[in-house]
Amino acid sequence: MALKLFILDSLETKGVRVPKEHLDELEMRWQGIVSLKQETEAALLDDHDIALRNIPGGDHLE
Amino acid sequence: MITISHCEISRGVTILSKELIGKSAEELAGLLEKRDVSSLELTRAVLDHAEALNPTINAYLSITREAAEKAAAKADAEIASGGYRGMYHGIPMGIKDNLYFQNEVTTMASKIHQHFVPDYDATIIAKLREAGAVFTGKLNMHEYAWGITNNNPHYGACRNPWNPDKIPGGSSGGSGAAVAADMCVASLGTDTAGSIRIPSSACGIVGLKPTHGRVSKYGCFPLSWSLDHIGPMTKTVKDAAGLLEIIAGYDPNDPTSVNAPVATYTAELTGDVSKLVIGVNEDYFFKQVDTEVERLVRKAIQALADQGARVEAVEIPALAYAEYAEMITILSEAATIHHRNLLKRPDDFGSDIRLLFELGELPSAVEYLQAQQLRRQIKRDFRKAFEKVNVIIAPTLPIIAPNIGEAFADLNGEQVDLINQIIRFTGPSNLTGLPALTVPCGLKNGMPVGLQIIGPALQEGLVLNVGYAVEQTNPLQGKKPELVRV
Repeated sequence: MALKLFILDSLETKGVRVPKEHLDELEMRWQGIVSLKQETEAALLDDHDIALRNIPGGDHLE
Repeated sequence: MITISHCEISRGVTILSKELIGKSAEELAGLLEKRDVSSLELTRAVLDHAEALNPTINAYLSITREAAEKAAAKADAEIASGGYRGMYHGIPMGIKDNLYFQNEVTTMASKIHQHFVPDYDATIIAKLREAGAVFTGKLNMHEYAWGITNNNPHYGACRNPWNPDKIPGGSSGGSGAAVAADMCVASLGTDTAGSIRIPSSACGIVGLKPTHGRVSKYGCFPLSWSLDHIGPMTKTVKDAAGLLEIIAGYDPNDPTSVNAPVATYTAELTGDVSKLVIGVNEDYFFKQVDTEVERLVRKAIQALADQGARVEAVEIPALAYAEYAEMITILSEAATIHHRNLLKRPDDFGSDIRLLFELGELPSAVEYLQAQQLRRQIKRDFRKAFEKVNVIIAPTLPIIAPNIGEAFADLNGEQVDLINQIIRFTGPSNLTGLPALTVPCGLKNGMPVGLQIIGPALQEGLVLNVGYAVEQTNPLQGKKPELVRV
């Protein structure tokens, strides 16, 4: 119930109108993502582990 | 439901034209070049067949007969005057409806974009026009490409030609169904978590997700910028290779485009795998797989080993994070793209994708960025694996296509969540951007099973050649869907 309230509150704060019939599935799917996240806690993330790039001067290095 | 106009069926499709439309682009190219067959004759046969089958399969959202016949006649005139341009000159192709055609409605199979008319051609459409391809119409897809069933609430479900009660897979389900059912000779798909490879596997055809940046996405409506790819969906590996030669290449209009030379991929198809090392990752790609799917994939690997390939186990530990990284990335990026419409007109989305957009509003920026960090680890582990092996082979899907409308699938007697399961083996190559090809490797209960060949970045020729070697073993034994058999 707490998770469902968190989801509803988070979405409504952003102006998203959530159909009531979505709440059960949103809770189930978000819970699944939280479980997957727990499996990543063991990951040793380095400061240089980045997949975002800032390419100087545009989109491609010419 | 939005209806499409169907042409009146005024003539039956003859045996001769059924044989013709069942041929691959490569086979047809030979006939067209020698002028044994005209593009107009071929195109009319394909259109007749597509119009006859579409009420059953619903692969097309619209069939553009007049424009197709005009383009085919133009191709014939060019070929007659010595201007043959190559394998796809005069070949009828259906196109997924999220690729822009100048001054033509491009719907993304959505209600919101049902009247959207782009003012330019997507780069790949411009390239195909230049190659002389004939466009037969716009193909059905999962709404905005955000789903794997192609059960579209606005235009109706697309159905699998092998069994119309089953999904064709998605999101490029119309492309998969149309190619499998000979409703076009070849097609294109887009792939963000598997949307080329899933329907290709489920429909028993060849699907290639090239390296990220290999094919321009300029003029393709995005689903998730960092994961999206465009690639061929064809009857044979050689057709995919020929199509990639046309659509690959650097495009300054696409920020993700890679400036790397394009090979002559068809020339790399020797079928020789004797010097190759094939990697098999047991921990991720062979866990929780349908028993028969696993048997067929291992049988195909053994067939390659019998031809001289060496098979080695490979470890890719960071794959343990792939499902999380894929979900956070695709949910967040897709929700960003559709954020404004989610606030302003949420009721105009199908319920399934509306829910996914809602879900995509939940991850924090920190979670998104951590997912990108994990992604780099996955890339690094794949790079290490490719120091040891040439390609990695895995099942494309852990299951076969379920019935339309089912949210759960059967996996060795257990009911599992469909969307999570069906992208489990395809998603990692979207995260890494590495090329991945699916080819058929057999049938289970009359439904196709595909295997996936993953290669190092920009080595599409290598994965295509391994796929070609699998294809040469004739794993479907010439079988086609019942409704298209001659």
